[in-house]
Amino acid sequence: MRNRATAIRVVVIVWLVAAVAGDVALAFGPIPPGQASDLASSESLTILLLAEIAWPVFSAVLAALFFTLVVNKIAPPTAEVSAEALRGNTRAQTAWIAATLVVVLSLAVYGTVALAIDQPGAGISADAAALPMPTSTSQPLEVQVIAQQWWFTYRYPSYGGIETSQLVLPVNQKIEFHITSLDVVHSFWFYALGVKADAVPLNDNVVTATPTLTGTYRIQCAELCGLWHGNMADNTAMVVSSSDFAAWMQQQTTLDAPVMKYLLPYSHTYEPSPTVYGS
Amino acid sequence: MSTPPTLARRLNEWGLPLGIVGMVIGFLIGFAVGTHAIPYSFGEDNSLGSDPGILLGYALSVVGFLAGMGFLNYPIGRLLGAKRPSEEDNAYIHGESGGLSRYFRMTTDHKVIGLQYLVMILAFLFIGGLGAMFIRTELLTPSPTIATAQSYLTLVGLHSTLMIFMASAAIIGPFGNYFVPIMIGTRNMAFPRLEALTFWLLPPAGIILLSTVFLGGFTTGWTGYAPLADQNVLGMDSYLIGFALIGISIGLSGVNMIATILTMRAPGMALSRMPIFVWSVLVTSFLGALAAPALIAAVMMEVFDRSYQTTFFVPAGGGSPYLWENLFWFFGHPEVYIFVVPAFGLIMEMLPVFTRRPLWGYRVAVGGMVGIGLLSFVVWQHHLFVSGLAPSLRPFYMFSTELISVPTGIIYLVALGTLWRARTRFTTPMLFIFGFFFNFLIGGFTGVFLSDVPSDFTLHASYFVQAHFHYTIMGGEVFALMAAIVYYLPKMTGRTMDIRLLRFQFWAVFITFNGTFISLISVGILGMPRRVISYAAYLQPLNVSATVFAYGLGLSMTLFLGILLWEVFIKQRVAAANPWESLGVEWQVPTPVPTFNFDRLPVSWSLPYDYDTGKPAADFGPAVPAFSGA
Repeated sequence: MRNRATAIRVVVIVWLVAAVAGDVALAFGPIPPGQASDLASSESLTILLLAEIAWPVFSAVLAALFFTLVVNKIAPPTAEVSAEALRGNTRAQTAWIAATLVVVLSLAVYGTVALAIDQPGAGISADAAALPMPTSTSQPLEVQVIAQQWWFTYRYPSYGGIETSQLVLPVNQKIEFHITSLDVVHSFWFYALGVKADAVPLNDNVVTATPTLTGTYRIQCAELCGLWHGNMADNTAMVVSSSDFAAWMQQQTTLDAPVMKYLLPYSHTYEPSPTVYGS
Repeated sequence: MSTPPTLARRLNEWGLPLGIVGMVIGFLIGFAVGTHAIPYSFGEDNSLGSDPGILLGYALSVVGFLAGMGFLNYPIGRLLGAKRPSEEDNAYIHGESGGLSRYFRMTTDHKVIGLQYLVMILAFLFIGGLGAMFIRTELLTPSPTIATAQSYLTLVGLHSTLMIFMASAAIIGPFGNYFVPIMIGTRNMAFPRLEALTFWLLPPAGIILLSTVFLGGFTTGWTGYAPLADQNVLGMDSYLIGFALIGISIGLSGVNMIATILTMRAPGMALSRMPIFVWSVLVTSFLGALAAPALIAAVMMEVFDRSYQTTFFVPAGGGSPYLWENLFWFFGHPEVYIFVVPAFGLIMEMLPVFTRRPLWGYRVAVGGMVGIGLLSFVVWQHHLFVSGLAPSLRPFYMFSTELISVPTGIIYLVALGTLWRARTRFTTPMLFIFGFFFNFLIGGFTGVFLSDVPSDFTLHASYFVQAHFHYTIMGGEVFALMAAIVYYLPKMTGRTMDIRLLRFQFWAVFITFNGTFISLISVGILGMPRRVISYAAYLQPLNVSATVFAYGLGLSMTLFLGILLWEVFIKQRVAAANPWESLGVEWQVPTPVPTFNFDRLPVSWSLPYDYDTGKPAADFGPAVPAFSGA
């Protein structure tokens, strides 16, 4: 039994070292999706927190599994070695269930609070008030994302409902994305901003995020939407300074002036194209 | 004995050829009626036919197949006033003394059906695995190479749907059907014909699904989201009918298992004496019987959308894509527990044998599985966190989803308790059990990140999700399947496949599996969406790594199949009667198991886990000298 006690001690020490080392490494490692917006930062924080909790628990179960399997293993031919009979242990069971419950409850509480604070959105606008909305100092800039097979276009209602094929956003400005679709279900995924929301025909899906880092980013569709789903991506989405944004908008407005009269009036949803109905 | 075979017997004997003829005739009739008699204009641009034609053709082909197989012989015979089949005929139909040929006709013997299931599952696994190899090959490069967009998405859809077919019956089909009646000490299932039906729906489902390649394929993956499904070409109809058949099979099998387990247990077998595997099958059966109808309803609504121009899921016509998403995932989430709960049961059934001690915490294990079953019905909207549906509901679904880790954790507790201070025998099945626990642990912990709404915003619909469910289904259920095949093969076939090469095979499959899916977890975290043929260039190195490991995984899975076929059909080494020295009832009956399992029904004494005393689980009759002196 002495060997056993030593073995337990060795396993516990190895686990402790691995758990601490892993958690430290996680704390210093890059955590997706990064810090390019307030929403992305909060998602990174959540992922980091979950990972920090998950890794020690994961490695503990693994260590216990290895310990019980490896330390006591004997070769198959020596069959009839019956161990002592343990049929259960109420205290161990209660403790285990209580511990997992506590972890789960705290995760759920944390998630709910994080959700209420971030208000990451991806909700129908009518229902978005269901969770308390933090009062924001600046008026959000509304940007509509229109998905159709197989590209995204964008409309800026505060600039006369102009429609562009490139997404350009001013930095440090709260953006209210309104996502809708003209044909099938798509999903607008702006990885760096931590924005993902399904584009559903005749539905207005709202997400808010404030970009905090300028740069050029990738946008892609995250819901299978037919043949060229894989190519429904765009590497030219930009977050720029507000002066650059104004200049870009000026340029777009002149560019689009001749076609503006053909555009449908701005609306949160659009009647789907009839050609998609039926096979 | 030389009386000529009766009509009933002849029809049964020729069931498979008749079934194939019936399938063809049924399809032709349905196709002709559907195409010409139903006024419908949408399919006219398609040279292959119209949706009503294909849908009705498929539906009637299944009816024709089942009629040819002989499922209607008895009722029609009775209706026409024919004589009841003789005892001899019944025995023949039950598969008695049929040799190898009885595996190719409709029989009502649960053991024959179990082996039929096993072969069908392995065929689905193999074909689906080939699809995975093509997918990984295509993903070696960031832009399309070997496949067109349409063929790639069809491959994705076929791989996933076939694997779902496989996974929904992988444990409960072969081992549930074969061993549950023996474990509970009965001679047959409650509804043997229904049991045969649940199996014989599988081949047409597979054929109909695969026939999509002749109809242009489908681009929706296994989730079949509308309105994309309405937009698809005729190949979509294959998916719909194939999936409906699987749904019917799951539901009927559930009803049959529930009836069998609740009403046909041997004397003395209280619910608290039921082997843990039977409990897992009972829970799974409730899930199947209650969840599958939602799938069948959803699929039928889509069938009507595509044929009669109803607009259940078409926003332009007042329908809603959310209706499909809700119905589908209301089925889809219990479905994943249909995959994995029987795997839990089988693993817990095997653990006491290899640790030579009782199952630790039997009652809490049962409670855990029942808890998983109950909770699995209230978590489905976690698939819809970013869909735009009712954000105020998200905290609830986040909570219920996270809560399910409590009963799942209990399974780990029971395993650890059983292994604790045990003299574990490290047999080959035990290796696979270890693999199961390792992989499922990763599957479970990746699930935590997906259940939390804020982190799900980044990880949803990415390769992280794909890797997560492959860890639970492939790493969990398929590893349990491999453990169970090695463990139960001596009973089911009288042959053993437990050779040294199999241990090498385990390590090969374990390492390549983890290599593949750790790579895919990483690409998911870095932002690769699922089901894409093109991806950002910076993701290529990890995709190449996944593909290389996946080739190894494909080879090592093929090696498993090769060893199985080689040992069963070519080497044919006779296995010991009870090679693992189990106390389970299923190991106490002779091999091959007699047609009706028991001469005399056993009387259950206790759970079959008393390895400390070696006390048998049941009284098997006169051979046990219990009352011989009286």
